[in-house]
Amino acid sequence: MPELFILAQATSEGTNEVAQLFVQGLALGSIYALLAMGFVIIFKATQVLNFAHGAIAALGAFFVAVFATVWDVPEAWMPDSPLWVSWSLAVLLALVVAFGLGMLLERTFIRPMIGEELFAVAIVTLGVDIMVRAITNDFIGTNSRPLGDPWGTGVLDLGWVRIAHTEIVQMVVTIVLVVAVALFFRSRTGVAMRATAFDQEAARAQGIAVGRIFSLSWGIGAVLAAVAGVFLSLYPRRAAGLDTQTAFFAFAAFPAIVLGGLDSIIGAVVGGLIIGLAQAYSALLPWEFLGTGFGGVVPYLVMLIVLLVKPYGLFGTEEIRRV
Amino acid sequence: MKIKSKWLSIFLVLGLVLAACGGDGEGTTTTAGSGDETTTTEDMGEDTTTTEGEMMEIATDVGVDLEAGTITVGLLSDLTGPFGPLVTAIVAGHNAYWTQVNATGGINGLTVNLETVDTVYDVTNHVQFYEELKGEVVAFGHSTGSPHTVAINSDLQADGILAIPLTWYSGWTDPAINSNLLPHGTPYCIEAMNNIEYMVGLSGLESPTIAIASIPGDYGLDSAEGALLAADALGLEVVYNGVGKVIPNDETTYDEVAAGIVGSDADLVFYTATPGAFSAVYGRAIAAGFTAMWSGASPSWNPAFVAEDSAIREAIARDFVGSSYYEPWDGESAGAANVREVMTAAGAPATDYYGEGFIEASILHQVLQAAYDSGDMTQAGVLAAAKTLTSVEFDGLGPTEVYTGEPNDIVQRSQWMTRPSLESETGTMIVESNYTSDIAAAYEFTGACYVLEG
Amino acid sequence: MLYTSYEADQAMVNTTTKRVALFLFVVFLVAIPLFREGAIGGGDNPTGSLPGPSFLAEGDWLRLLATVLIFAIGGLGLNILTGLAGQVSLGHAFFMGLGAYVAAVFGMPGGGLWGLGLPIWIWLPLAGLIPAIIGVLVAPTAVRVRGLYLAIVTLGLVFIGEYLWRNLDFITGGSQSGRSHPPFEFRLWKEEEPLISFAEDGTWFGILNLDSTGKTYLFLLVLTVLFIVFAKNLQRTRVGRAFMSIRDRDIAAEVMGVNEFKYKTLAFAISSFFAGVSGALLASFVGRSIPETWILFLSVQFIAIVLIGGAGTVSGTLMGSAFVILLPRIIRDVTGWMQDVVDAGDSFLASIFDFVVSTDQADFGLVNTAPGVAPGLGIDQLNLVIYGLLIIGFLIFEPLGLYGIWLRIRNYWKGWPFTY
Repeated sequence: MPELFILAQATSEGTNEVAQLFVQGLALGSIYALLAMGFVIIFKATQVLNFAHGAIAALGAFFVAVFATVWDVPEAWMPDSPLWVSWSLAVLLALVVAFGLGMLLERTFIRPMIGEELFAVAIVTLGVDIMVRAITNDFIGTNSRPLGDPWGTGVLDLGWVRIAHTEIVQMVVTIVLVVAVALFFRSRTGVAMRATAFDQEAARAQGIAVGRIFSLSWGIGAVLAAVAGVFLSLYPRRAAGLDTQTAFFAFAAFPAIVLGGLDSIIGAVVGGLIIGLAQAYSALLPWEFLGTGFGGVVPYLVMLIVLLVKPYGLFGTEEIRRV
Repeated sequence: MKIKSKWLSIFLVLGLVLAACGGDGEGTTTTAGSGDETTTTEDMGEDTTTTEGEMMEIATDVGVDLEAGTITVGLLSDLTGPFGPLVTAIVAGHNAYWTQVNATGGINGLTVNLETVDTVYDVTNHVQFYEELKGEVVAFGHSTGSPHTVAINSDLQADGILAIPLTWYSGWTDPAINSNLLPHGTPYCIEAMNNIEYMVGLSGLESPTIAIASIPGDYGLDSAEGALLAADALGLEVVYNGVGKVIPNDETTYDEVAAGIVGSDADLVFYTATPGAFSAVYGRAIAAGFTAMWSGASPSWNPAFVAEDSAIREAIARDFVGSSYYEPWDGESAGAANVREVMTAAGAPATDYYGEGFIEASILHQVLQAAYDSGDMTQAGVLAAAKTLTSVEFDGLGPTEVYTGEPNDIVQRSQWMTRPSLESETGTMIVESNYTSDIAAAYEFTGACYVLEG
Repeated sequence: MLYTSYEADQAMVNTTTKRVALFLFVVFLVAIPLFREGAIGGGDNPTGSLPGPSFLAEGDWLRLLATVLIFAIGGLGLNILTGLAGQVSLGHAFFMGLGAYVAAVFGMPGGGLWGLGLPIWIWLPLAGLIPAIIGVLVAPTAVRVRGLYLAIVTLGLVFIGEYLWRNLDFITGGSQSGRSHPPFEFRLWKEEEPLISFAEDGTWFGILNLDSTGKTYLFLLVLTVLFIVFAKNLQRTRVGRAFMSIRDRDIAAEVMGVNEFKYKTLAFAISSFFAGVSGALLASFVGRSIPETWILFLSVQFIAIVLIGGAGTVSGTLMGSAFVILLPRIIRDVTGWMQDVVDAGDSFLASIFDFVVSTDQADFGLVNTAPGVAPGLGIDQLNLVIYGLLIIGFLIFEPLGLYGIWLRIRNYWKGWPFTY
């Protein structure tokens, strides 16, 4: 593979391209992993394919933009603290609101559909996506909105690789959240959620409040989506901030979800990272032959190839179909 | 069943109320009430009824109502799409211009009303709205988007209606295409030549290298073609060619083009795109430690880049060279002063884009006046009047527009050069007025720089 | 309903009432272009017209009706795939784009872009056949994967399509630039003058005057009727029943001897045929398309048409198509009317509407008529919100869609005054 050898040498900027793409792939993959995790949690608990995930992500980022740049909350209350403290608190506040939003959506649109065909519920979420996106776009307006994050254009230059400060934060936060989710599923409520996902009726028979579990799962899913939305809108990915197109990004995460298996959280994280790395390394493909935008198609191709071999994804459980 | 409906209705009401409270309160390009200009039927401004003296015999068919004393003009605009902030301000400029004119008697007593529709930069919408409006308006004050205007061009010709394109594609100067159009302003490819020569001068380098990139479509490709011509004429080495390689909203193309620009180590970058795509590639490039002088076609810039919370504000203020087809807000000409006065009186925030609205409206004003004077204000009459125009002047707001003569002689070649400014209200400052580069002046304009196939 | 023979039960239009109603409805549809003033009469300035709502015959409404017909054809295709055979597909936009570009390549004269200049009786059927063949090629992947996974695979198809249209610029004209599509006209072979051209106004039998939109509308009406007859017929044949059995219980169907693979492939093929023709008609009707025309939202519109109308029913799909296409226009007209009432001044209605509509930055309102400036949802966004709400509402409250509502109304009147 002569190409890789050539690329292993330093470029004129001093960075090693393979390593640089690896870091970029991880950063992108962490966003996909967050989106996929939130999605899978919702799917596992409620059996719903949530097409509205992207819209919720954008709305969550919008909340952060409003809290941090428009209302100056809680910065106005603590003017002496460093920017990153007040901004993080603004984000936490926005996440609380996102949590509430997730629960509200579940209660309003999903609860009445219990017992209906899965396809129908998925289309309901499509309707929710259209609606929420239209309202969110109206709030966002036609200009991009910066989120007011404290890291700005800071970059860590290690010579052989350059990592933006925001990318470091991204990866750290993702690891923290994955660990948090893993721990959550060991807790009492987490076990209850796993039980509900496994067999709703039996869980109910055990005294688990299934309705509350549903709401909780949507709340958690919304929070994860919102975090992903925030990372999507930071420099250098979108230097100007959040705009009306941010919500569409979630569709790029679908291959990650399917790849990992619709009902596996580990699969979601692994799938997200794989797709992120695949997309980053697609920059090495000979572009002349493939034209523009092939990188956007790569996730779907990877997904298709995996599905041909494992129709339920890498970690998904095979559906036992009964007549 | 009760449970289903209760939450649903609560959510609905909540959602709608929130939507009502939200919306576009902030932002630099929203305009305040120039009031009611976007509906058809009301009279605005003063109630001037009939003209003094004799009533001329005016032929009318669509869009002109002599009894009610109104003229209706259509605006096919992109208000919520990729160029939303830009076009919203242009529409505000139009509105303000006509309010001013209507207040002083309109066109011989006839008030001009604007019917604005939002096409969201979608071709199918554009065509559908054209079909709807062609039975209501006497002409189109602007038609946003190059492929969109191309889509309705054959219909315009078949229906005999006039439209002013709101795009600076160089193909509009072609007599074979523009029988129903009144183009204005420096075309994208000439603009690119001006920008690049200016950048070379500013950089002080002997022979700088240049990277050229753009989004696809007539807008991006026409501008990039001009850049390539400029590089050729000035003997600059094009170290990266990303023409048509950036797809808005496709992240991987942003990564690819940014990597290409960074890897080429160019001294100058000419990149034409939507503001979102521009900032995305620019952000990635400076994250990789790249520094150079950047420029692009005028619509690539958005004042939000230097907004208070923008992450890239210092960097882009350092790197960017901007341009404008007409005098920006801070200009010194009588035309620009008029724009400032009118828009401030209307309570609108300071921004550079109203000028385009004033220019389009001025051209249309002259056409409508000519049509009135000739006694024929049918759609065909207005079109005929437009074709009799020799030149239109704008009090210095824009270069004089000439409509008779060979394309090579009448094509616009001068523009304004700007730089970002962190202090100014509009986000820019003018550095050069009525600037024509040597290569643009010398360029033999024989036809569209980028030819639209099919 | 008491049917005395199998044929009577299976007939497409089984009662006399239905037959009469259908006949009158079809007559009405055909007569719409004649409601225009000047449609009847000879000479230079005819003024006659058939009595009827003349606004329908005006250029823009007639265009909307023609668009309804085009979307109905595509909707019928998706209905067969999703409503009848139970295969979730978000890939409809891909097959529509494919059909449109096939039509362009075969129907437009060559030049800067590929084109063969063949007449309509070649390019229109090909616009259906080639997507059908591609649908057959796509089917095996879809067959292997089920339910929600299938939805995402077909989603991928749309994105792959976008990538192809963007890069095959010698066929599509390239991103944002696009290309023209063949106009509706009949030639025998590549002659100069077409036999029938839909671009000009025409006179039939000396007294019926149709403008170009009217002629196009009638042409599309004929095509739509053909597709409706095919679709309705499909439901009562062996193939249709096989589809339905797969939709309900695919394992049981396989056990009973219904070849799942063959019938799923057939469903994709038929659906893609409809989609391809619909896409070609849409592109030729608008005159121009860009690669960004064939995006996910187009697929979603068809899903909405099928679901809002009533999945699995032909009349439901037709109602859904009319609903989805006419809704934006109706919303615009209604908000415009509300705006007029507000401007006209004091009345009770005006004060209510003032609350709902806003015109400038200072005015509070839920909907604004000055997009980008006044608060509240713009017309376009309001459309989307109502769209989303309708999809949700129909699925939650009336899964049978508009057809279900129609059934309820009909049964109510049938049973009246005995409501039970």
